[in-house]
Amino acid sequence: MWKGFCALFKKDCRMLVSGKFFLMAVGFLALYTAYVNLGYIRFMQMSPYNVYLYDPAGTQTEVSSLVHAVASLEAMDEALLADANGVGLDASGETVRVVLYAGAEHVDRHRADYALSLLRPSTGSASEIIGTNTPEQKARKEITCELLFFELAAVGFLGIAAVLFKEKGMGVIRVHAILPLRKELFLLSKLMVFLLSDLVFAILLTLLNVGLADGAALLPAVLLQTAILSLVMALVGLLCALLLKDFRQFTLAYLIIAIFAATPVFLSANTSVKFDWIAYHPFYHVYMGLKNAYFGMDISPIYYVGAVSMILLLFLVVQCAFHREMGKEG
Amino acid sequence: MIEVKNLTFFYSKDKQALHGLDFTVEDGEIFGFLGPNGSGKSTTQKILTGILKGHGGKVSLFGQDISAAHGPEFFQKIGVLFEFPYLYANLSAVDNLNYFASFYPKEQRRDVGELLETLEFKPDFLKKPVSSYSKGMRQRVSMARALVSNPRLLFLDEPTSGLDPSGAVLFRRIIEQERKKGTTIFVTTHNMMDADLLCDRVAFISNGNLVALDTPKRLKEKNSNHRVVIDYLYQGQRETKTIEAQELEAGIPFAHDEIVSIHSQEPTLEDMFIQYTGRGLS
Repeated sequence: MWKGFCALFKKDCRMLVSGKFFLMAVGFLALYTAYVNLGYIRFMQMSPYNVYLYDPAGTQTEVSSLVHAVASLEAMDEALLADANGVGLDASGETVRVVLYAGAEHVDRHRADYALSLLRPSTGSASEIIGTNTPEQKARKEITCELLFFELAAVGFLGIAAVLFKEKGMGVIRVHAILPLRKELFLLSKLMVFLLSDLVFAILLTLLNVGLADGAALLPAVLLQTAILSLVMALVGLLCALLLKDFRQFTLAYLIIAIFAATPVFLSANTSVKFDWIAYHPFYHVYMGLKNAYFGMDISPIYYVGAVSMILLLFLVVQCAFHREMGKEG
Repeated sequence: MIEVKNLTFFYSKDKQALHGLDFTVEDGEIFGFLGPNGSGKSTTQKILTGILKGHGGKVSLFGQDISAAHGPEFFQKIGVLFEFPYLYANLSAVDNLNYFASFYPKEQRRDVGELLETLEFKPDFLKKPVSSYSKGMRQRVSMARALVSNPRLLFLDEPTSGLDPSGAVLFRRIIEQERKKGTTIFVTTHNMMDADLLCDRVAFISNGNLVALDTPKRLKEKNSNHRVVIDYLYQGQRETKTIEAQELEAGIPFAHDEIVSIHSQEPTLEDMFIQYTGRGLS
């Protein structure tokens, strides 16, 4: 049995290499790392809005260095015209007047409060800070988690389906029906190849983007969640490849999965948008599992029971579809 | 080697594919299984190779019921050539064969290089990917895959499909050699010449029923009109006459100067196929 598994595993690795899958994974890793380190983190560190202050009498003595002083009200109007998200502060009167181009009401309130807070930076916030992550750490963990989820849910899923569609097209699945091997090894070998490549991807992505020390500490929990998501997505990919007729049909299914599975999950997990039904969306729990792993939060044992049950159920369904495919006409 | 009794199979409640087949295949026999498209040939072969489960009746191979033959031991004893050359297109012939051979015990495997040489495979292509092969070359590699494990029972589906005439002759010679080694061969084909030249016995299947089973020779004899057509020269003229075969017992029963040819009016296996199955070859 072990010898048969090794032969299958070796062949699957060759299929991946010839399909340029590893090259694609390395490319995505480089792209994500460049995006996080050169784009996202810098963007997150930028001040949210530019603030322009007109203070002819110099009444404001504690002004933050983030505030841009302007010489006249006309100059302030010009600055706001060029930067419609900016906020103007007119301190020429008794009280400071906030000037801005209107947007959504709740955002405008935030812009105004932020601009006024820059006039008294030493006062600081009275809020109690909870959690140990610095804003940069938090941003790095959040974006790494999102990118890993996207990679596993979309790119890895596409990869396994592409490999199986290739084998299906060549008809070699039917040859395995008459080989002296346990048929489930054919599926297990594919799952193992993708699981290992996903785990390596998760290690590199985490270490390169969260940082060596922080990342290494998170790895055990992150790898466990990666394994769950990788197995689920690989099984869904296998099922789609076995049930659907060709890659064109799969592309449509892929879009549906990407739109209906990923979008509400990202919205609910990362924004204040909360759908009532999101608790019934299995990918939401898988994503939250991954996010909790990045932030060192405890994960309920019920989640693990559900995840293992889902993997086993999917494996059984995939096995049935696989036997059906083996018995098909040429 | 193969014993089939009252074999039935349903794809669904109202879709019966096989209606109680009965036949046996002896050790070392080449058995032809012939029938039009959709007659139940592939279903029968899939049941015999253990791919399709849930049949009715009794099927035993190697003296063991097929329902119990799920394990690797069963698959180690059979070799299957599919109708289409199913191979990994990105791997070479050698890599394909080494991969498929790796599932069998070492002592059972044949040498891949020798096997390809026997099949007159072009040596220049040994390391090139299958995607660059012609149909005939792919068929040669597929045959090598079926033979690489030295099977005791060989299932061949359209073995000479995609081969040129010399390739077809080579394949028939290889099949004969396998039989001489004691291998039992179950051939499914539309090619009546292959069936006629190779098979010890043939079975015709139509709409899931076995409609005839005998040696090709006896099947043709049974349906022969026992006439011969004689071409001859007489007084400088070429003429043709059809007479009853038994009339020849006393010599040529008409005046002639020279006999040019004598042809029996025996039907071909293809005629028999059409007569029994009610359908032509497709």
